[in-house]
Amino acid sequence: MARTANGIVWTVVLAAAVIASVTFAVTFGPAQISPAEVWGSILHHLGIGSTSLSPLRDSIVWDLRLPRVLTAGAVGAGLSISGVVMQAITRNPLADPYLLGLSSGASLGAVAVLLLGSALLLPFAAFLGAVIALVATLLLASAFGRITPGRTILAGIAVSALAGAVTSLIIFWTVTGDSYREILSWLLGSLAGARWPAVGIAFVAIIVAGVPIMLSGRVLDAFAFGDTSAATLGINVNATRWTLLTATALLTGAMVSVSGAIGFVGLILPHAVRLLVGPRHRLLLPLSALVGASFLIWADTAARSLFDPRELPVGIVTAIIGAPVFAALLARRRVSS
Amino acid sequence: MPHALRTLGALTTAVLMLTGCATVAPAPAPSATSTRPLDNCGVEVPVTAPPKRVITIKSTSTEMLLALGLGDRIIGTAFQDGPLPAKWSSTTLPVLADKVPSQEVVLGANPDFVYAGWESNFAADGAGTRSDLAALGIRTYVSPAACKEAAYQPRRLTFGDIDHEIGEVATLFGVDDSALLAQQHSTLASIHKDTHGLSALWFSSGSSIPYVGAGIGAPQLILDTIGVRNIAADVKDTWASYNWESVIAANPDVIVLVDASWSTKEKKIGVLEANPATAKLDAVKNHRYLIVPFAASEAGVRTVDAAADLASQLAALERG
Repeated sequence: MARTANGIVWTVVLAAAVIASVTFAVTFGPAQISPAEVWGSILHHLGIGSTSLSPLRDSIVWDLRLPRVLTAGAVGAGLSISGVVMQAITRNPLADPYLLGLSSGASLGAVAVLLLGSALLLPFAAFLGAVIALVATLLLASAFGRITPGRTILAGIAVSALAGAVTSLIIFWTVTGDSYREILSWLLGSLAGARWPAVGIAFVAIIVAGVPIMLSGRVLDAFAFGDTSAATLGINVNATRWTLLTATALLTGAMVSVSGAIGFVGLILPHAVRLLVGPRHRLLLPLSALVGASFLIWADTAARSLFDPRELPVGIVTAIIGAPVFAALLARRRVSS
Repeated sequence: MPHALRTLGALTTAVLMLTGCATVAPAPAPSATSTRPLDNCGVEVPVTAPPKRVITIKSTSTEMLLALGLGDRIIGTAFQDGPLPAKWSSTTLPVLADKVPSQEVVLGANPDFVYAGWESNFAADGAGTRSDLAALGIRTYVSPAACKEAAYQPRRLTFGDIDHEIGEVATLFGVDDSALLAQQHSTLASIHKDTHGLSALWFSSGSSIPYVGAGIGAPQLILDTIGVRNIAADVKDTWASYNWESVIAANPDVIVLVDASWSTKEKKIGVLEANPATAKLDAVKNHRYLIVPFAASEAGVRTVDAAADLASQLAALERG
């Protein structure tokens, strides 16, 4: 019972942190707008009160900042959930959509369909890319015997490298002058283009794929003890595994289609949350989602305001934080094995 | 070209360089008096016999040679940014590559001089490094306005810098630059500075992150010349990644659209109108756009023409 109480406390604290993050992050930006004016504008659009801002400055808040912050939160939550599921299903603490090639596959799908000129198909192409990359990684990892964490990571690297190379090839052949910058954001990840339609895609993905995954904590807990024990608990192991992985690919694909391939979010945040509340998935899943949301909101706020008036792709920020954590996880595995 | 021949050519050039001016006497040589090598982005370019077989990479270098009446020296062009201006519309030049040529393509054309618009064109995976080409007896020159080393990058581009490039190229090729300089100066003198205190965004490319003309390059020089304030003037770079929020906060009076085949003015107008925030900009609502062809937007002989053109477009906008 103490654990449950503990869980409720953390849920409340972390949910409050997400709300606080949104509240403060929208007040940061190159344009000088006071926090009171920012919230005046948002409340005005929600039908409460009026705004003192000119239509243009109001547009900075409502059309640029708020959708961007909300997209960051949803993408952070989605990638974190994906990371938890992949770590549980592959029983690999190093699994994450970026390292297993899903993000690169989704990026490739997105870039390919963008060049065909169809923005509508973007989320579907990214999803398809993510699924193909995931299947390729798992087939490659199992081709030479038992799937081990090390093999899975190596297979992911191979798939990632191939998808990245094909993406680069497409860019190389189709881009002239300085417009390569535009497509670079698919490789590095950027939320600079996030407007209300991106918020829509990201939130629909959270509701359609993220919430069902979050409710499957009990199943994932069973997986943690191995396929046999999961089967004795009455779980159809193969069907469940592929359903969860497909849902994860859908989630990752939708997120990549609005943000490009942002790395390490799905890797580091689930580990941070395990340190707080332990490995049980019923708690790990929702809390990882909340922490992921806050994390990406602040990473993106740093990306757009550290070098004001220029912007960094947010993937650079998450990689600078995430790569050392990845190294630390590797070191810990070495000690424990 | 057979490798042995190429080596022979390189050797011959090297011998010529070693023996100095005496052996190149047959060349009609106003440049023979000035034998001091040029310091070009930190690379020494010897002033020896005028080049006869030149490859130009990017439009600025091609147009510089045409403006100096040296079109007959061009054996191949690469990575041209757009069509030549109308005055040279009857000129056709051989095209080696649509983008940056590889080193083999460059060497295969057997040039004695490669003139590039960007320093990065001389990468190992591009036309070849400048030292590699020099070892083969091929001189290289980069438009000095595009030097990237801090010591060589213009602190803030001026028409003096462009005159200086004209002078250096004239020296290298042993031709007279006075007519071209006079023409540049008279065009510059004819431009009317706008006096309405207008501001402008120089929109080069990009959609989610705009890539804009910043405070020290050709866009800033052109905007200064026509009397319009650049909203990104405080960014100390030639071009830079900017952000929409600052653009909207500045609400520029006009927007300069760079028209390139890969990022047309129509595409840029589409980007501005599709983004709900930029769609509310006064310049977007009232279609206050000035158009500059990409090839004229980089520092070179066309810079002054681009300024004159934008000044007259601005005057036309104001007449309504």
